Amino acid sequence: MTTTGITTGGAGRLPVPPRPRRIAAVGSAVVLIVLMVVAHAVAWRETEFSVGALADGWRGMVEFLGEAIPPDLSDTTLERGLGACVVTLAIGLLGTTFSIPFSLVLALLGSRTTSRSPVVYQAARFVMSFFRAVPDIVFALIFVTAVGLGPFAGVLALICHNTGVMGKLWSEAMEEIDEGPVEALRTAGASSVQIASHVVLPSAAPQFVGLLLYRFDVNVRSSLVLGLVGAGGIGFLINKSIQLFRFDEMMTYIVMILALIVAVDVLSGKIRHRLSDA
Amino acid sequence: MPAQTNSPTAPEVGTATLSVRGLTKRYGDRTVLDGLDFDVGAGEVVSVLGANGSGKSTALRCVVGLVRPEGGSITVAGRTVTPGVPLSEVAMVFQRIHLVPRRSVLDNVCAGALGRLPLAQSWATWAFPQDLREEAMACLDRVGLADRAHDRAGRLSGGQQQRVAIARALCQRARVLLADEPVSALDPAAAESVMRLLHSLATEDRIAVAAVLHQPDLARRYSDRVVGLAEGRLEFALPAEELGDHRIDELYAADYRAEGAAL
Repeated sequence: MTTTGITTGGAGRLPVPPRPRRIAAVGSAVVLIVLMVVAHAVAWRETEFSVGALADGWRGMVEFLGEAIPPDLSDTTLERGLGACVVTLAIGLLGTTFSIPFSLVLALLGSRTTSRSPVVYQAARFVMSFFRAVPDIVFALIFVTAVGLGPFAGVLALICHNTGVMGKLWSEAMEEIDEGPVEALRTAGASSVQIASHVVLPSAAPQFVGLLLYRFDVNVRSSLVLGLVGAGGIGFLINKSIQLFRFDEMMTYIVMILALIVAVDVLSGKIRHRLSDA
Repeated sequence: MPAQTNSPTAPEVGTATLSVRGLTKRYGDRTVLDGLDFDVGAGEVVSVLGANGSGKSTALRCVVGLVRPEGGSITVAGRTVTPGVPLSEVAMVFQRIHLVPRRSVLDNVCAGALGRLPLAQSWATWAFPQDLREEAMACLDRVGLADRAHDRAGRLSGGQQQRVAIARALCQRARVLLADEPVSALDPAAAESVMRLLHSLATEDRIAVAAVLHQPDLARRYSDRVVGLAEGRLEFALPAEELGDHRIDELYAADYRAEGAAL
């Protein structure tokens, strides 16, 4: 790499210096790829993944769809379905709203920006990961034994699970804010609570609302699944009509819930889009 | 504070003076401050010059309690500063300004008073007492931005935002104002207006102002004294009019070497 190669015009040429530790990087990439291939091979066997079985089963699916179409559009089914849609939406709404105070407290305690004591920070993180790790359907089964079958058990289940998820999302949103104003107010002698109230929360507010709407969206869908285990709403009706082999009725409910979920999704997406522009 | 009284020429009770003696700070085995001494008197602007890594910002951050020094003493108006604990008499403005952009200008200024407010009066902006709002308005008027009180801070220009940050320091009732490269991110016109404001706070309101600057020209025109730092020590302390070009060249020689530029 001395004076050779400077033959063309302009700035000439220079040999590119070798990149350091290249061989090690290639080696670890190869190992990673092999591990991923093995993991997928094992997963394929364990899940009895079979394209053949899917192809062989087409007759069963056609029969099922034949019974489901045309959907049952009788007044009683529509009326019952509509009522259940309202219940599903209501479970999602209360489950989201009532988890706000718990999420907020846990997020403030479990965010590096606002939490001063490492013990409290770790404890809040642990509580949030616990509520996040337990699926809402497990909470629903627990609450069904406590308050019986019905939408109330669904609301309680969503509050628990959503507190964990939304607390985590909010605490991360607070950690992403600009630290500068926090420092500025610390020099002015502001306490941690004052800094949270006057810098952190106003700075993270748009992200908070966006995440809240996103969780509402997800929770309405979850409340449909919760209905399948007895927590009321349209999921419960779908489960019942399958048990009674009323696939045409089931189809009606599925179309209705599809419309509901798409509507919630579009609406919350629109509001979130507006927020991110503001 | 002149911003809150009707007679801005009223004499101060005592004199707010910043005095730094033997300040030391190490990060690992790198010595950033190595026994630094300097003073800022009430009513004067002191410019702090020095190459990158000479310890200018660290010195200010020690005074304001953001950095805990290992040794030395800091006295403000006769009170000894506890290392790492902010003192209400000392306020700081930053190069990146650090207002809360989504809050109103007035709320940002009120936030300067948080250190002396109980939680019952400060847990949210609507809990701020009326007299604080009026004091903050007077501070805004002092920096010439009373008409922007209800605008969002983020909508103001850089120079205006820096003046709001200075109003926040006034609302803190600071007697020592530290400015860490207050005009480095501003256009020349805004830089002039901010420097003029800092100068008038010193001469008219008897505040002790120390500003880290990278513009020797501004330092000469707007400060009373200039202190030069090199490798964490005081290199010189001169009246601004005696600051010669050779002093500046010596001070920044390290930067020229680092950038590979001939002096």
